[in-house]
Amino acid sequence: MIRRQKVIVSLLCAVLTVGLLAGCSGKNGNGGSGDKVTLRMIESLTSPKRTELIQAMITKFEEANPNIKVEFISPPFDQADNKIRTMLGSDEQLDVLEVRDLTVAEFVNNGYIEPLNSYTDKWKDFATVSAVSKSVGTVGDKLYFVPNGLYQRQMFYRSDWLKEAGLNPPTTWEELYDTAKKLTDPAKNRFGFSFRGGAGSNGTTDAMILAFNGDKVNLDDSMFTKDGATIYSTPEAKAAMELYLKLYKDASPPDSINWGFQEQVQAFTSGVAGILLQDPDVIQSLQEKMTEGTWATAPLVTGPTGKALFAAGGAGWGITAKSKHKEEAWKLVEFLSSPAENTKFSKDYGLIPIHSSATEDEFFKTGPYKTLIDMSNKPDTFVNYKPAFQYPGTGQWGQVTMETGQSLLLGKSNLEDTLKKWDEYWVDQKTTLKQ
Amino acid sequence: MKKQRAFILSGLIPALLLVLAFTYYPFLKGIVMAFQEYKLFDLRSVHFVGIDNFKAAFKDPKFIMALQNSGYWVVISLFFQFFLGLTLALLMKKQFRGRGIYQGFVFYSWALSGFLIGMIWKWMFNSQIGVINDLLLKLGIIEERIGFLSNPHWAMFSVIIANVWYGVAFFAIMLLAALQSVPSELYEAAVMDGASGVRKLWNVTLPYIMPTIIATTLLRAIWIFNDPTIIYGLTNGGPAGSTHILSSLMLDKIIYGGDYGAASAIGIIMIAILLLYTIFFLSVTKAEKAGEF
Repeated sequence: MIRRQKVIVSLLCAVLTVGLLAGCSGKNGNGGSGDKVTLRMIESLTSPKRTELIQAMITKFEEANPNIKVEFISPPFDQADNKIRTMLGSDEQLDVLEVRDLTVAEFVNNGYIEPLNSYTDKWKDFATVSAVSKSVGTVGDKLYFVPNGLYQRQMFYRSDWLKEAGLNPPTTWEELYDTAKKLTDPAKNRFGFSFRGGAGSNGTTDAMILAFNGDKVNLDDSMFTKDGATIYSTPEAKAAMELYLKLYKDASPPDSINWGFQEQVQAFTSGVAGILLQDPDVIQSLQEKMTEGTWATAPLVTGPTGKALFAAGGAGWGITAKSKHKEEAWKLVEFLSSPAENTKFSKDYGLIPIHSSATEDEFFKTGPYKTLIDMSNKPDTFVNYKPAFQYPGTGQWGQVTMETGQSLLLGKSNLEDTLKKWDEYWVDQKTTLKQ
Repeated sequence: MKKQRAFILSGLIPALLLVLAFTYYPFLKGIVMAFQEYKLFDLRSVHFVGIDNFKAAFKDPKFIMALQNSGYWVVISLFFQFFLGLTLALLMKKQFRGRGIYQGFVFYSWALSGFLIGMIWKWMFNSQIGVINDLLLKLGIIEERIGFLSNPHWAMFSVIIANVWYGVAFFAIMLLAALQSVPSELYEAAVMDGASGVRKLWNVTLPYIMPTIIATTLLRAIWIFNDPTIIYGLTNGGPAGSTHILSSLMLDKIIYGGDYGAASAIGIIMIAILLLYTIFFLSVTKAEKAGEF
């Protein structure tokens, strides 16, 4: 009897051990079943609505290509990029991935992603992909991802508040400050500007410093001036930051020192703040939450030299260098980037489509998108620059600015020291890149 | 006999493998990483750097601040959680109508995730649209809205309040269970000896539930020390790093910096602090009592 028990226990142990070991070697390809190929795809800018839209496109793709199955991974937004890095670093199977303007240089430097030029050469719709979209996905002279839409900042303002106060929408940063200050009335819990001092605060500081530096900026290496100094070392940068401090102190809610995207938009929709600088992906929630006619859009405000520098940002689909199914992966990227799918996705999610043909659509020519098109028609005032995505430290820059910027706003450090730190950061980036 | 031993050993293998894979491997890997430059952005240049990560931590003002904050965070939170929890448990021990429902309400906070609590309190503390400022204004206690989360003097205080609210239920549950196990004969005997309410609490109740008190405060202190979720949800460590505790700073190093080396070094320092704390706590409270829990 005991012997029998022993045999059973031994067997159980063996099964458990084998199971455990098998579990450890988790390299699952396509399961070896027939010719069906499984592509693993991961997104980065995850949000519930976006995931749903992408999933719907994938389903459509799978129906059109019964031999390809797509396994779609959607990690939570704040962990997504680290998850992608870990998967790439540990050689897990991954075929299609969402590459961001922020991460592309790093992925290319590590040899994680495949240049797409040989594929786009044979792609008939590539001709209508806009130059800006191509530039966002390009490192050196190679294209590494096809953007799935572009983000570009513009101004949103409470037209009813401005009308009530007899004001016009501001066109310069100085005017923006004056207008915002006039709209501010803490007793009524009303503030002029929807400030962002938390995650993503460099969106405002960099925009102001670039606008103030104006013509001095090297458009191909935007953290530096044409003389090779950083944009943070100039007297213009100091002037910009002085205005920035005033903007926080006189025209923004004190709490906004911690605000990120969500709070910033919420303050605008709930009637706490009157002016918001944001990308078009907020348009939908403004349309949903605010009464029509209470808000409107305007182009970005300019600096003292009459120029506003802007960069279109974006993320898009790339293919991993180690993918075993590159042809199929490209098929998927091509499908997702086709004019029909991309235009639909851009409309549904609030992005600028990547195909220039799509901007002919009435949808983008009227309403809140119109100012974006207007801006692109005035290239002398609204100057497009290439963000410094080639530097490996770009991804960390947001965190550095947020922390030093918050202690500046709190009065824990002074303006000179802060700008010096920023200057040193980019000087350091440049030297590391040269090595 | 030898065969028997071999059999037992072979039977232990799966369990051992599981423990090795999921407990000791990450632990050892963490120790190794603490001595490496290990950045997710640059996995190709992972190399040993000796104790550089530790040196960098102690030179970093943010780390020193997080160390101090961890002290306030644990001591103040634990103190209020315990006393409020004990008060609630004593109140709930009495029989009254609707006690079950009342208990449900009290324990509710314990069922929420720390991150969610952080998010809820973040909106409540909001200086423009938050309910707390609104209430204080309407009650005439304050004249101007307070930036609970934006003013560094208030921020740490605010996250501690949220944490106290969260942990009271834990103590209430545990202490209520202990209170209900105190034999009624003890109270009867105390009454015969002429003991008053306070004396009964002091001489009968507290000594009887002491093992539970010791075990729960020990455990809870470790949890509070290790749990960054409320801080993460509420302030993300801000403004300007003023609400970071060690565990949230460690997470910060990973999420925003991808710096596993620096994060592991902080992790090792945390383990050392906890070890010292546990040894101290158990020797002060006479460890054998806690074992009866």
